[in-house]
Amino acid sequence: MFYVQQLLYAFLATIGFAVIFNSPKDTIIKSGIIGTIGWLVYFLTQKFTGSSILGSFLGASTVGLLGETFAKIFKKPSTTFTIPGIIPLVPGAGIYYTMLKLTEKELLKAADFGSQTIFVSVALASGIVVSSSVNRAIMKYKEDKSIKNIQ
Amino acid sequence: MANKRVVKQAINMAMVAGRIMLESSAETYRVEDTIVRLCSSFPCVDYVDVFVIPTGIFLTIGYGDDAMTYIKRTTSQGINLNKISLVNDFSRHFINSDMTIEEAMIILEDIDNECCYRDSVKTLLGGFAGGFSALLFGGTFTDFIWAFLISMMVVYVKSVFLRKFTLIGFIKQFIVSAMGTILALLVVKLGFAPKVDMIIIGFIMPLVPGFIITNAARDLISGDFLAGLSRGSEATISALSIASGVGIVLNYYYSIV
Repeated sequence: MFYVQQLLYAFLATIGFAVIFNSPKDTIIKSGIIGTIGWLVYFLTQKFTGSSILGSFLGASTVGLLGETFAKIFKKPSTTFTIPGIIPLVPGAGIYYTMLKLTEKELLKAADFGSQTIFVSVALASGIVVSSSVNRAIMKYKEDKSIKNIQ
Repeated sequence: MANKRVVKQAINMAMVAGRIMLESSAETYRVEDTIVRLCSSFPCVDYVDVFVIPTGIFLTIGYGDDAMTYIKRTTSQGINLNKISLVNDFSRHFINSDMTIEEAMIILEDIDNECCYRDSVKTLLGGFAGGFSALLFGGTFTDFIWAFLISMMVVYVKSVFLRKFTLIGFIKQFIVSAMGTILALLVVKLGFAPKVDMIIIGFIMPLVPGFIITNAARDLISGDFLAGLSRGSEATISALSIASGVGIVLNYYYSIV
């Protein structure tokens, strides 16, 4: 039940982000699905390894790869699927707790939360990097193959 | 001389397409790719060279033994995935059909005037985004209700109310995050909710620069280091302005309580 709730929340939150970013009407539900799967990967990884950094990395890679795949299938730019799906993984809580600890003058804890937040953002960025470079490699491979076939 | 006129029109059309994409915050390589594809679809064009940074487009078209260069300064109009997708469809359609440049300009103008969702829909779904984020991070039902309402207000003020004022984006973010924090503290003070944490995290989520981080990463790996670095610093400043909006209010609150 808990998992179903989490998935539902992730789905609805992603749809909300999609509308904030003015996604085309027919991609909103699809980006919601991608966001849900990304959150599931993040959540399970974080639960079983205890590392939210690894979770964000794997979650972002999943969102990125799914986004590229959907972009191929539905002939839309991959951004329309990737961007809303990745926002639930952004460390909003980290930003808040860093600031809270700073105002409470607990500087060690603030540094702890702050570095965690920075690492999670870097993990998100590298997840995107990995997924789009994998996509590029596949595209290049296919292109080379089709050129060879023509020759 | 006929070529010169065609090239001039082509350059204008490609510039409009590129400007719409860049102003809707598309990735750099997508803008460059679209412009190159549109320009090279003309038979009289010999070579195309384009350089895009987040604030401008430089485009040179060579034809015969002559060349033409245009520079376009752009200002970001916020994020609009719909326009990016529409221009993408348009360029695919333009290349695969024998559309004239005049027809293409009309289509592009329509795309440019295409508006986003209605303000009411945007506000409501902004509430969704914030409220359900609060639940995702482990909030209770009470947190959800308040995060929902405050996110709705924050999204409304940011994208509808403050649209009339020409404020720098960072200052807008600072104002709305400070406003949201004041509201959240008020709710807790009046006894409607036990803790302020999840409410604040909820309404922060629609503001965080996740979009810019993603685009910066994409730009960096495709080799557009200038665009990647400038977008990276934009993401950092935007996160800092949200954090300081929340932090200053919290600090003041704790010092008087």
